[in-house]
Amino acid sequence: MAKRLKNFWHNYNFIIVFLGIFIAFLAVNGSQTTWTSVTNIFLHSAILGTIALGMGLVVLTGDIDLSVGSSFVLVGGITIIFYNKTGSILLTALCGILLGCLCGFINGVLVGKIKMPPFIVTLATMLIFRSVSQYMMNEMGETRYRIDATKSSYQALFNFGNGSFLTIAYIVLVFLAMAALMVYMTTSTKFGKRIYALGSNEKAAKLAGVNVVWTRIFVFVICGALTGLASFLKIAKDTSFDPATSGKNFELYSIAAVVIGGISMSGGKGNIIGIVFGTMSFTLIDKIITALGMNALLNDTVKGLILLIAVGMQMIRKRSN
Amino acid sequence: MELLKMEHIQKAFFGVTVLDDVSFCVKTGEVHALLGENGAGKSTLMNILAGVYTKDGGTVTFEGRELADGSISDAEHAGIAFVHQELNIFNDLKVFENLFLGKEKTNGIGKLKKKEMIQEAGKLLEEMGVELNPVEQAGNLDTGKKQLLEIAKALHSNAKLIILDEPTTALNNEEIAHLFDIIRRLKEKGTSFVFISHKMPEIFQIADRYTVLRNSRFIHCGEISKVTAEEVTRYMVGDSYVSSDLYEPRQLGDVIFQVQNISGEAFEDVDFEMRKGEIIGFTGLAGAGASQVMQAIFGVIPIKSGSIRVFGEELHTGSIHQAMKGKIAMVASNRKENSVLPDMTILENMYVSQHAIESKNPHIQKKKEIEKFEKYRQLLNIKANTHKDYITSLSGGNQQKVILARWLNTEAEILLFDNPTQGIDVGAKAEIYRLILKLANEGKTIIVNTLEIPEIQKIADRCIVFYHGRIAARLARQEINEETVMLYATNAVYQTQGRTEEAHG
Repeated sequence: MAKRLKNFWHNYNFIIVFLGIFIAFLAVNGSQTTWTSVTNIFLHSAILGTIALGMGLVVLTGDIDLSVGSSFVLVGGITIIFYNKTGSILLTALCGILLGCLCGFINGVLVGKIKMPPFIVTLATMLIFRSVSQYMMNEMGETRYRIDATKSSYQALFNFGNGSFLTIAYIVLVFLAMAALMVYMTTSTKFGKRIYALGSNEKAAKLAGVNVVWTRIFVFVICGALTGLASFLKIAKDTSFDPATSGKNFELYSIAAVVIGGISMSGGKGNIIGIVFGTMSFTLIDKIITALGMNALLNDTVKGLILLIAVGMQMIRKRSN
Repeated sequence: MELLKMEHIQKAFFGVTVLDDVSFCVKTGEVHALLGENGAGKSTLMNILAGVYTKDGGTVTFEGRELADGSISDAEHAGIAFVHQELNIFNDLKVFENLFLGKEKTNGIGKLKKKEMIQEAGKLLEEMGVELNPVEQAGNLDTGKKQLLEIAKALHSNAKLIILDEPTTALNNEEIAHLFDIIRRLKEKGTSFVFISHKMPEIFQIADRYTVLRNSRFIHCGEISKVTAEEVTRYMVGDSYVSSDLYEPRQLGDVIFQVQNISGEAFEDVDFEMRKGEIIGFTGLAGAGASQVMQAIFGVIPIKSGSIRVFGEELHTGSIHQAMKGKIAMVASNRKENSVLPDMTILENMYVSQHAIESKNPHIQKKKEIEKFEKYRQLLNIKANTHKDYITSLSGGNQQKVILARWLNTEAEILLFDNPTQGIDVGAKAEIYRLILKLANEGKTIIVNTLEIPEIQKIADRCIVFYHGRIAARLARQEINEETVMLYATNAVYQTQGRTEEAHG
């Protein structure tokens, strides 16, 4: 029994972290807690969470992707232009995902094929993607990328971004569906096992016949696709993108969500489902700070502290093994 | 005069005795060869001398004074320098900075006196007769020059005894000759050397006396001029008992595997063929190229020329995936580094290679996989509680069996084993031999690369001995014995022949 408890703690401590923060949230909110405030946790986790799922895969291989926040705005901007030209929701979604794939492919080839360090590659593309996004907008003489509200499908797009099914927002459903897909991929497909093998011991994986180059590239492409999808969700929800501020620090927040979700930065260890809880833990901290009426500038202080505590607990757990 | 006297040295690691009552003496101004097979205890003895390990018993006397168990720096202060097989040169520092590392000359406020150091380094290198520029970046030096720099470091610390652990493995003939010149010159000045090497011709060229260790014990000590290479080899291997009870002659099939004159970075003109169900033992000293040939066959390292045919069809070399498709499998050496996926379960470790070549259906059928695992668990006698445990929870031998299952599961026909019994206990070793014989009986064609000749005697139909990247000998089963193999592996054959010719001439 004690052993099983220890195993549970070992594999699922992100749930305990989440529950701890959730209880703090309930205590702070007290009687004002409603069903809506609970579903809002999901709603405000959906976009970052979708990106964090991709980041989680990259981290599982032992790499890192610092460019997600920037590709999020770059893809978002171009996708808005695309929608304003075509007016088709479906094609716009597809455009976002494909552009995201392209961003991921660039990172993936540089890291996987040319074997440049992922930290440097994605640091460079982080700078490039955001700068291109800002330049393009500047050239158009605008201050924000904005959806053309006169398009006939605008209302449908807006409804998708802000409507809900049985009180659960559509974008939350998309996020949860993606989470389910990624959990399935990592636990029950051959490709998923390759991701773990690569992160666990690259040399052994290679000698066992795993094509480590393409596994890497695919993982970055999937991360890009999820980031592109997140751009589309944000377009539907907010109808605009500000290249200077949108997605700012998203790379760091998504890494934090991944780490709180119990995935090891050295790769090979952790469950994708943890990312869902990791992201929600992060969203909850925002809400607690708002509810306490604290200065919003302290947000990152508290988030940073929670990150240190969560990772510290994982280290203690590791040492006790 | 005796410079160093080590007497009755005892040492055990985790209850395993690695040095048992070993004595070892070095005279002032001599080159003393320390000989023995892998695992005989040479390195442990030298590490005790250099202060890396502490001894369990015995005494060490250096220059007439007893050396207490100390640290590496104590040994250095006493005048003992250890030039390790792996060089400890800092590539990003200059030659003189490497020489003065840790004992830099500085002025009052801690500023380096570079000019003075460069001058002193230049003088030292000149005295040694080494053409080395003190301000050259160490990373630009070739391995031979680095080796000389390492020796210069030892001399710079005023070492009276320099231990050279296989100093010639990375050197070409010219560099070896130069190194020997320097050793001879220093010897005349009174510096003593302990020379560890497996290469017989070199030992006869440079050493004055020798000491042989075998199985953690002192065997023999004497003068090189009064002994032949064959005698030394016999001291090294002993009349070890060969149990070949496992082996039974088998009916071999057609030729299915042909390696035709392949050459690469570390091997040249390697040529052999195998019949279905045959077992060949590869051997040679560490670095002789046997392991590289295996890796080249499996597509890990490239082949420059030559070809490989499996079942008559030419194999597309240089790709692991193609080798696997060609029904070749390799159980790599150094299991922890090259085979084990430590964060994954036993089942996942077993299936990773099958997944890699059979990727048509992306979904994993877990039930089927567990059934298959149970089959292999019985076949290979893998001692594990459940397939869900991490592979790291198993003992070394059982981990190796899981890796073996990984490759059997790809339905490979040609199995390459690179040092398969490394780091596993005696019982598990015997089990691995039995499995290899059983697989051969079932028609698998097998190559085993190992440094341990008794292993080859237990299982192989034939043996190929490598020396310096080339095939030095092909021995039939009845010809395989430690003495013969060591003669070819150390190139002592030519040494012995040379002597006979001299005697006759």
